[in-house]
Amino acid sequence: MNQLSVADTSAATAGVITYPSPLREFIDSFSNNRGAVAGFCFLVIMVLAAALAPWLAPYDPLMQFRDHMLQPPAWQQGGSAAYLLGTDEAGRDILSRLMHGARLSLVIGFSAVIITLVPGILLGLLAAFFPNTAGRVLMRMADIMMSLPSVLLAIAIMAVLGPGITNAMIAIAVVGLPGYMRIVRASAMSELSKDYVMASRVTGAGVLRLMFFTVLPNCMAPLIVQATLGFSSAILDIAALGFLGLGVQPPAPEWGTMLATARDYITSAWWVVTFPGLTILLTVLAINLVGDGLRDALDPKLKRAA
Amino acid sequence: MFSFILRRLAILIPTFFGITVLTFLLIHMIPGDPVMTMLGERNVDPEMYKSIMARLGLDQPLHIQYLNYLGGLLQGDFGKSFSSQSSVWGEFAALFPATLELGICALLFGTVFGILLGVLAAIKRGTFLDHGVMGLSLTGYSMPIFWWGLMLIMLFSSYLGWTPVSGRISLTYDVQPYTGFMLIDSVIAQIQDPEYNSGAFLDAVMHLILPSVVLGTIPLAVISRMTRSSMLEVMGEDYVRTARAKGLSPRRVIFVHTLRNAMISVVTVIGLQISTLIGGAVLTETIFSWPGIGKWLVDAIFRRDYPVVQNGLLIVAVLIILVNLVVDIVYGVVNPRIRHAK
Amino acid sequence: MSLLNIRNLCVRFGTKDKPFLAVDGVDLTVDQGELLGIVGESGSGKSVSMMAMMGLLDGQGTVTADQMLFDGQELSALTARQKRKIIGKDIAMIFQDPMTALNPSYTVGFQIEEVLKVHIGLDRKARRQRAIELMREVEIPDPERRLSAYPHQLSGGMSQRVAIAMAIACEPRLLIADEPTTALDVTIQAQIMDLLLRLQKERGMALLMITHDLAVVSEVAQRVVVMYAGQVAEMGAVRDVFFEPAHPYTQALIASIPESCRGSRRLSTLPGMVPGQYDRPSGCLLSPRCPIAQERCVRERPELISYGDRAVRCHTPLIPLQEVKS
Repeated sequence: MNQLSVADTSAATAGVITYPSPLREFIDSFSNNRGAVAGFCFLVIMVLAAALAPWLAPYDPLMQFRDHMLQPPAWQQGGSAAYLLGTDEAGRDILSRLMHGARLSLVIGFSAVIITLVPGILLGLLAAFFPNTAGRVLMRMADIMMSLPSVLLAIAIMAVLGPGITNAMIAIAVVGLPGYMRIVRASAMSELSKDYVMASRVTGAGVLRLMFFTVLPNCMAPLIVQATLGFSSAILDIAALGFLGLGVQPPAPEWGTMLATARDYITSAWWVVTFPGLTILLTVLAINLVGDGLRDALDPKLKRAA
Repeated sequence: MFSFILRRLAILIPTFFGITVLTFLLIHMIPGDPVMTMLGERNVDPEMYKSIMARLGLDQPLHIQYLNYLGGLLQGDFGKSFSSQSSVWGEFAALFPATLELGICALLFGTVFGILLGVLAAIKRGTFLDHGVMGLSLTGYSMPIFWWGLMLIMLFSSYLGWTPVSGRISLTYDVQPYTGFMLIDSVIAQIQDPEYNSGAFLDAVMHLILPSVVLGTIPLAVISRMTRSSMLEVMGEDYVRTARAKGLSPRRVIFVHTLRNAMISVVTVIGLQISTLIGGAVLTETIFSWPGIGKWLVDAIFRRDYPVVQNGLLIVAVLIILVNLVVDIVYGVVNPRIRHAK
Repeated sequence: MSLLNIRNLCVRFGTKDKPFLAVDGVDLTVDQGELLGIVGESGSGKSVSMMAMMGLLDGQGTVTADQMLFDGQELSALTARQKRKIIGKDIAMIFQDPMTALNPSYTVGFQIEEVLKVHIGLDRKARRQRAIELMREVEIPDPERRLSAYPHQLSGGMSQRVAIAMAIACEPRLLIADEPTTALDVTIQAQIMDLLLRLQKERGMALLMITHDLAVVSEVAQRVVVMYAGQVAEMGAVRDVFFEPAHPYTQALIASIPESCRGSRRLSTLPGMVPGQYDRPSGCLLSPRCPIAQERCVRERPELISYGDRAVRCHTPLIPLQEVKS
């Protein structure tokens, strides 16, 4: 073989390699998803409307204007710019009620998710780390809880606890618990079989450390996605409970509760029925779009293959 | 295959007991005294109170009550409704066909259109059609179905007058509940009395359309998404590449090679919709005044009719578990790897 | 006239502003009955280029070429339907992992007979007969019973034989084998290779073998193409390229075979890694790793220059080659 002279090639590699950071990749991926971005913007608007409702809303949501009952929205005949989306059967401004209702829905939904998250994560990790003892029991319990439709279970729990906001929060949290537990368990179990966990074990990491510092961070992606979707289904469940008269009670301006009384006005006042439900739809849709965007951005398998 | 089924059946038993405990505890945590509710909460004669308590077995300690309850269940006694005094099982059996009929129609609607749309979206991936289908599916998934029902009623029943507002059939027809399925019973009624009952079947169909669409919307959304993602996943598999390397036509590649394998996952999803359907039935039946078990259960909860709630929930839960078992078995049959396993 | 003649095949992935050339200007010819080897490491684009030619990339990348002639016909000018008459019949391909290459929901017999039905149109009885014959030809024992077996019931070697049976069912003129033995046990590898060679000789079929196993190529192939990072680095007769390599990469490949390092304590390697999407040099793609890279190499991309039967893409080939304009 000929001996080859070695030339200086270090200049060739200078300034060539630039891998984008994970955060950068995530932001890029997420922003490419137009639906997700649109959903995110809508959510920001909704959160702002909710937070600033006491100052931004044109009227007090509970104030009844007896002279303006069932007034149509501004662009229809008989409506006025004073009540942009019209008024309901008690003369209350619908727009203001929707804005204040946003506070209720967003806060309750968010709280419900948070309340579920902590025990859900703990129990899921427990089930994954001790699959033959705690795991079996917990999974059986999860199966039992999931054998009932969530709406039914929520209603039954509300029947036990009685109507009201906090009870609704608790009911929805309990109903969502087995779902999170399952996801964390599945995620953790698949991580547990991976080599890096074995490596940690070999170097002497204790169970608690393994649980929270080694395994859990790698389960975050599906958990975040599930939490987002859980948020949206929490809002739907709150509305359903309100509609049935079990959740937030009238005259509080919860979107579902508004629909309960609106039922009688299908033929006479379409705006009383349409707008609250439309708001629920748009909010939930926005959250789901964001959740989908998160999932696509966080799941490396779906990245465009080279 | 056989052991697969046996194992699944074996898990049923502890699950069944777990559900009985759950429903039992749930009911006994409901505040309010059922005896007082029964007696009308006015001046109650203490003797009468005691005797009713004893009769209902409510004076025993909790675990004894549970054992009594369990014993009764295993003998087929599901208790009597507090308000109507008729057997819970009897009421369930009378009302279940209505929900079943609605559920089947909704599931059919959701499955047929869901698979169709999902396959279309997968084939035309990335196009307007794909995004459109996915957008529609996401919207269907994000809708409060009680609102959706109200909107459809507003449009089709009030404004256009095409469909009726509530119920299963117009009161002008004389239909006997032979099977409990209005579609069948209306045909029977038409045969029995062609003159009086002419158009009964069509009327029954018209009554079913809107509720089925409303109830079937979420299954439609879920199934179309699942079909699409399952199709896309299978389309990326090596054996689909082999099929194309064999020079097979795109139609053959899709319908013979891809769909068959994609359906394996979709079947599971279809089966899991049963739970969604029953939950959705609660809301749908309320809106359309559909006399099924969803409405029955909700009314019972409001009335504090313990036996109905307790045993009704139990029956529903067992039903769902049985259906899930059947789905598991069907999945095992459909997936050749499991079918041939020892 | 050569059976397959490809000029300047390019496959582009990624987005418009961030394109990734997985295959960059590949030229290739295969003659009737010839055995051509394509060698290169993972990521060199050897599989992608052949799948692109067959039209198997399914819209994932953009395929362009100056020329893709098969048996005189320009492949890119054919309609999809016309192309499907050739793929699977005159040109066939077998893939690397036999365990995933067969559809798990259908029997092996069904999948073999399918090709016969679609391309030749035999009736059911004739198909079954022919399928059994084919299975016998690829040395599957007890073929009558195996017809109704499902792929997961077969071993890797057996599955690959089935894949070969499917591929040769319609007497193709060209068989492309994409790393056909990589996923198999060593003892089975030899059997499958022997089978492929025997089939090639008996049928006068051209065989295009994609592999990273240089030893196999040097033993059985007439000509070889060496690929690196999506480009053809060198090609020519096996004896010329392997015993007197002109391209530094070819030499490094040969030197990295354990047998070449007998006596020394360390295996010979090239420092660095194959460039991926984000770190492609603006000059010669090998220049960051090349032991004889000059200043010109870092600056300027070399063209693939033909010297008669041989071609090299290098500014400083290892042996002086007569410039023959071809």
